[in-house]
Amino acid sequence: MKTIYTKLTYLFVIVSTLFISCDDGFEEENTNPDASNQVDPEYMFTKAIYDALNNSTGTVYEFGAGGFVQHFATYLEVPGLGDKYLYISGSYPYAFFNGAYLDAINEIDKIIYATEGVEGFSNQNAIAQIWKVYTYHRLTDLYGMVPYTEATTAFSEANYSPVYDTQEAIYMDMLNTLQSASGSLDANQPSFGNGDLIYNGNVDQWSRFANSLMLRLAMRLTKVNPTLAEEWAQKAISAGIIAEPSNNAIIDYPGGQVINSNPIAFQLRNNNYSESNQGSSNTEGGKFADTFISYLKENNDPRLSSFAAVWINGSQKTDPELQQGMPNGLVNRPENFPGLSEPNLNTLLSLNSSLMVLGSAEMNLLLAEASARGWTSGDAQSYYLEGIRDAMNSLEGLYGNEAAVSEEEINTYIASQSLTGSLEEQMETIHTQFWVSVFPDEIEVYSNWRRTGYPELTPVNVTGNLTGGTIPRRLTYPPSEISVNTENYEAAVSQQGLDLFTTRVWWDVEQ
Amino acid sequence: MKKLLKHERYFQRLTSNLKMKLSLLFLFTSLFTIQARVSYSQGDKISVKVENQRLEKVLSFIEKTSDYNFVYKVNEIDLLRPVSLNVTKEKIENVLQLIFKNDSISYQIFDNQIILKKKPSVKKIPRRTAKTTNYQQLVKGTIVDDQGMPLPGINVVEKGTNNGSSTNFDGVYEIEVGENAILVFSGIGFKKQEITVNGQTTINATLQNDTEQLENVVVIALGIKKEERALTYAVTEVDGDGFTQAKEVNLADALSGKIAGVSVSNLTTGAGGSSRVTIRGNTSLSGDNQPLYVINGMPMDNTTLGGSASTSAGGFNIDHGDGTGGINPDDIETISVLKGATAAALYGSRASNGAIIITTKKGSFNSGIGIEFNSSFTVDSPMDFTDWQYEYGQGNGGQRPLNQSNAITWGRRNWGERIDGQPFVAFDGIERPYVAQKNNIDHFYENGTTFINTIALSGGSEKTSYRFSISDTDTKGVVPNNSFNRRIFSLNLNSTIGERLDIEGLVQFNRSKSYNRSSAGDATGNPNWVNMLANTVDVRWLDPGYDENGYEIEWNETPYASNPYFVANKFKNEGIRDRYLGQVSLNYRLLDNLSVRGSVSRDYTSFDFTAILPTGTLYTNNAAGEYHGFDLTVSETNSMLTVNYNEDLTEDINLGVMAGGNIRKYQNEQTNYDGRQFIIPFFYSFTNLQTSTTIPSNQHLTTNSIFGSLDLSYKNYLYLNATAREDWFSTLTASNGADSDNSILYPSVGAGFVFSEVINKPDWFSYGKIRSSWAQVGGGLPDPYTLNESYTMIPSSGEPLQQVTQVGGQRLLANANLRPYTSTTFEIGLEARLFNNRLGFDVAVYDKTTTDDIVNAQIPVTTGYEYTYFNVGEVENQGIEVAVNGTPVKNDNFSWDINYNMAYNKNEVKQLAEGLNTISVANSVGNWAEIHHEVGQAFGVIKGYSMLRDDEGNIVFDSNSGFPMRSELKKIGNSVAPLSMGLSNRFKYKNFALDVLLDGKFGNDIFSVLNVYATRFGLSKRTLEGRENGLVLEGVDQNGDPYTNTIPSTDIRSYYQNLKNYSDHFIYDGSFVKLRQVVLSYNIPVEKISLFKLQSASLSFIARNLFVLYSKTDNFDPESAYTNSNAQGFESFALPRTRSYGLNLKFKF
Repeated sequence: MKTIYTKLTYLFVIVSTLFISCDDGFEEENTNPDASNQVDPEYMFTKAIYDALNNSTGTVYEFGAGGFVQHFATYLEVPGLGDKYLYISGSYPYAFFNGAYLDAINEIDKIIYATEGVEGFSNQNAIAQIWKVYTYHRLTDLYGMVPYTEATTAFSEANYSPVYDTQEAIYMDMLNTLQSASGSLDANQPSFGNGDLIYNGNVDQWSRFANSLMLRLAMRLTKVNPTLAEEWAQKAISAGIIAEPSNNAIIDYPGGQVINSNPIAFQLRNNNYSESNQGSSNTEGGKFADTFISYLKENNDPRLSSFAAVWINGSQKTDPELQQGMPNGLVNRPENFPGLSEPNLNTLLSLNSSLMVLGSAEMNLLLAEASARGWTSGDAQSYYLEGIRDAMNSLEGLYGNEAAVSEEEINTYIASQSLTGSLEEQMETIHTQFWVSVFPDEIEVYSNWRRTGYPELTPVNVTGNLTGGTIPRRLTYPPSEISVNTENYEAAVSQQGLDLFTTRVWWDVEQ
Repeated sequence: MKKLLKHERYFQRLTSNLKMKLSLLFLFTSLFTIQARVSYSQGDKISVKVENQRLEKVLSFIEKTSDYNFVYKVNEIDLLRPVSLNVTKEKIENVLQLIFKNDSISYQIFDNQIILKKKPSVKKIPRRTAKTTNYQQLVKGTIVDDQGMPLPGINVVEKGTNNGSSTNFDGVYEIEVGENAILVFSGIGFKKQEITVNGQTTINATLQNDTEQLENVVVIALGIKKEERALTYAVTEVDGDGFTQAKEVNLADALSGKIAGVSVSNLTTGAGGSSRVTIRGNTSLSGDNQPLYVINGMPMDNTTLGGSASTSAGGFNIDHGDGTGGINPDDIETISVLKGATAAALYGSRASNGAIIITTKKGSFNSGIGIEFNSSFTVDSPMDFTDWQYEYGQGNGGQRPLNQSNAITWGRRNWGERIDGQPFVAFDGIERPYVAQKNNIDHFYENGTTFINTIALSGGSEKTSYRFSISDTDTKGVVPNNSFNRRIFSLNLNSTIGERLDIEGLVQFNRSKSYNRSSAGDATGNPNWVNMLANTVDVRWLDPGYDENGYEIEWNETPYASNPYFVANKFKNEGIRDRYLGQVSLNYRLLDNLSVRGSVSRDYTSFDFTAILPTGTLYTNNAAGEYHGFDLTVSETNSMLTVNYNEDLTEDINLGVMAGGNIRKYQNEQTNYDGRQFIIPFFYSFTNLQTSTTIPSNQHLTTNSIFGSLDLSYKNYLYLNATAREDWFSTLTASNGADSDNSILYPSVGAGFVFSEVINKPDWFSYGKIRSSWAQVGGGLPDPYTLNESYTMIPSSGEPLQQVTQVGGQRLLANANLRPYTSTTFEIGLEARLFNNRLGFDVAVYDKTTTDDIVNAQIPVTTGYEYTYFNVGEVENQGIEVAVNGTPVKNDNFSWDINYNMAYNKNEVKQLAEGLNTISVANSVGNWAEIHHEVGQAFGVIKGYSMLRDDEGNIVFDSNSGFPMRSELKKIGNSVAPLSMGLSNRFKYKNFALDVLLDGKFGNDIFSVLNVYATRFGLSKRTLEGRENGLVLEGVDQNGDPYTNTIPSTDIRSYYQNLKNYSDHFIYDGSFVKLRQVVLSYNIPVEKISLFKLQSASLSFIARNLFVLYSKTDNFDPESAYTNSNAQGFESFALPRTRSYGLNLKFKF
């Protein structure tokens, strides 16, 4: 018996040592070996820049805003939100909303959180604040009221149901943020390095960027509050905007991974246009819209050959006389579909083409308007022509030699242009030009069209469209907000108006 | 100790003294050389020295130290009676005499088998007086069982006398009888039979099994066997034979309809797909809700490697198969289903959804080689549920296609002219007659075939037994070029070393290969969208789906709806899975009533998967294809140590104590390889891609546990049981003063009372027991690394990129303040057997509530995240389970057994999180319907939209679109069936047996994506209205004013296309009754065939999923699930259900 008790004692000792500390080493075991526990502001900033610009370039650029402003057309119904104001299925109305918060906004907030008050990171913090405004203004322009002050506070404050802020409040805060952030930039402090894909951390350039964005936002308010618009436009202009192409905010894409490719080129290739499709089996039935191609053609715009091409015998031809767009609002594939114009694969759709975030062409056109309104000094027509010149000049840098517009072509075109007549006539001239010059930044073109009404577009009216045959004034919220942020969603809808494509955002006052 | 568990007896018969070494070579050579019958070890002398040991122990000791085995009915022998004995090298007869001298037990020795039985009670048979010795004739014969196996040890008594004999090893008896004698044949486990001699000198008899008489022994947690009567909770055991005839490739599917409270969703994902089994409803909002599977006492991994299919994805939305798919049904001895938490308390958190305990077949000691061979072949033919309209053909706006461009644009549209047999142009530009094509499903899908072959060898020497089996499953799917092959090698060894040490080992190796598993869900790369082909297009015109350059041929307006033949012929996916399952356990008896058991098991799988979207796939970038693949290894290792102690406290009270600990380690290491655009066309290598990424991921987690149990029994009718377990989870944070905790202690108690032993019961009442138990089980967080936010570098060809770490593709907000959840079950059960066991029933009612459930809740994207874990869920299940079995007819040649089971489970989600009323679990293709957990509703409600109506019930129209406005998102159905039942019948006539199984589920709903599209494309019969004269829609507008909209017939498509916005139009009652299985088997009377020592042989006709007897769905099978996740309730273009029929052949040598 004694041996048995000895054995039992051993056993007891073994069992107890095994379990004496039953959670030893758990913390280490529960640490992901493939992840870091710290935000690296620079690396995450690069991601935030990419994400702000690659958000929904298919669903919103091409099939949403790009269709609304009649740059693009598709004969299919599923991607037909922009083309014919139909919504059959998919995330077309809300992909941008989801993408903005989950990627760019969350990331930029991580950077702001990580650099707030940290010695040696004041410039990074300020640049992140400016980029945050850039990210948010596109979102609120598309949807109107969105969560802003309480967005992404679940991490820091456990707020799982962010309230929606009015667009007015968001705009006021964005303008103030731009002013304060650009004011706090300090060339003597460290800044971002290569991770800043736009300016390499150059704080002067970021200051101009902030002021230019301020001008863009200020001009947005011309319908809803011209006084405020004037005040902020003047503030922006006097602080120094991107007036020269050398100040342009441009991102170069090295290509390679999808995320390192020009997101517009990548998505458009993915959706429709490729060597293998030969203009015929375009996946989403897309082409350039007839409105766009006809306008360029009629005005002998040299950019037609930079952007558009038709497939003939296995290659893309850019001759202006061959170009023809597809009418919006088709529900059947037209017989001549393969021979219609589509984006040139070697220029606009080159995966390592560059992307214009904000440039002097747009700024000059806005200056032309400000000048026409008498808000700033200088000659409106000069600004206008400078805008055109900058836009044409930028194409080679963005899209390569094939897209280049020669000095001679520019001069010829400019010679045909003038800015005259009433303010309204001048507005039409400026903003029709805006529609061409800011292409392919479809979100900005769409916002600018809603503000100014130019160019005058003829809406289509297909059976079952959701707007009664009018061009949508906004996009609709994601179903997940309806189901899991119900109260705040309902509050927003009761304030802003029904969650419809026809409801107007705050600055888009009906006139 | 053999308690007449079937099968083993027959192997035992072939006792052999050959000291067999377990070399494989020997096994195979012996296959041909074995002449199993050798002499028996009659000469064994027994030495026993015990004092006041339970009889049970003494018998067991004799079995272990000699070649003798005891056979007896548990309830006839008082196993707990104390015995004292001191013999050295005594003959067995003398030992038995000593043991049973004062007992009313008689014993008979047949070779090495000792049969114990109650002596006939003394209410007497009238004695034949003087003539008793006056025998007149000798009668001989052979007694066999219903399988034709000779029965040793059968008593042969001349009726009315005590003149008796018994059969020998070969089932042969000899008896001298008087005139007019009637012979009574009886044996334990068999129905008594009487035969009048009537001058015959040879009387052979077949005795029918009478298994109900036997005391059932079931396997419960940790490999412990218990008498059924001692259980305090619901356990249902299914005999392995039930799975070996009409086989399902996935074992779990074979449970369908067999056990009350066990719900099986028969997925339509093809061979090698996974299963979804839930027991007593869904308990956890985020857990998988599936039971724990345990093989021979050790848990195995049943995760769906590579992830379950999603409800709405396309491309390669494939069910990769789960762990139960790796078990060979022919290896299974029994399956016990432990339904309640009590039963599973000892297995810990993962058994909170119940446990399925699989015991594999073993060889038996002292036997020659037994060979089993089981072969089955079935043809799997696709069932066509569609019932489309064939009045109007392909076209648009009332026109048929007259050129190729139209034919392609209208490839899926059926808004053409009346079908008239006149010419039209098809998508390929060829002019053909405009006639209905009604057999596209039959034409596209092929008949599948399934071959399953198993060969098993088993046997054993004095100290070692073994069983080795090889199984091969070869399946050809219904989609062209889809196949699945699985080989399983399994070796089971048992050995006794010395007097006190037992060693048991199981090694299993599986290799399965799947080719071209079919996608489900969305259209891309999913061949099952062939259902949407226009009704005047013959699917064979699409064959082979590619042009002379190997590029996909366009057949409809969007390349996202892939050409089904292109997918079948050119898409490639291949999964190769190697699985090694090994376990060793050592049991050391320190004392006769104290033993220590240590075991280690490891379930290791390596799985390589590659999917190729080939060059020429139109929807891929530049039609240049894509590459997706992963290599993963998953392992689960359990190390367990237990101490068992058993003591008779008094003559009537027995105490059993067990204590132990377990360490569970789970590791999942996966590397994903993805890329786009093959540079050199048609060369499908990861090296040949324009862009590619390689991303590693891993999950490591540990659960440590200590546990104990205590069993008390009083006499043979009162049983008490209590358990406790504490688990520590590596996935949670140790208590830090806030809410967090990483451990949980949970208890259980139960009692069982066999009241039929103590009450004065009428004769017809054979057995009655009432049982009750209360149990808790704790559970941890399934995912590691979610407590704290972390940041991951992602592949970049430019500057480095960092992002917030995603967990399983989710933007998951970290939450460190989590603690384990608790599931509490209370149940009461009543079981009874009546009329000499001809009728029996088992009823259980239970309440099972999960509190503090860790909920993976969707949160607004505006938080920057999509999901987070909250620790607040509460889910309640209440239900009743009824099982009734009976034998309405039973005579010598014919018997009819019937089993019916029913379960009703009421589920309610009581609480989610503060301020959170609903969480979204999944959405359908197109987001038309969603699965939610909503407070106050059952688990998994289907939400969707309907047409908006005003207070008067008028439809409210949107004057912009001219169509009805859509209601808010609301509940439109329940995804989980609350009521299920099964009915099985077994008819036996002589050597024939017919098994018929019906099962059904009731009360759930299904949202059908197929019908959304069928309506959109004009295939559905509901789209006939308005084709000639248009439709007039009436209601009110947004302002409440009367509103009328006339849709012209040429534009009718837009109306039906828009119907998708009102999901309630596509919700169907999912109730069904199916004729699940029919098996007609014939036992070949092998005694007439003296070939190869054949012991038994049977041939069966088998059929599964024969008919849907009741269903309310249109155009699809009510069982159309295509993912084994919690997201049930959608139908979305999965493979067609197949009807399988074929043959099964079994031999035993």
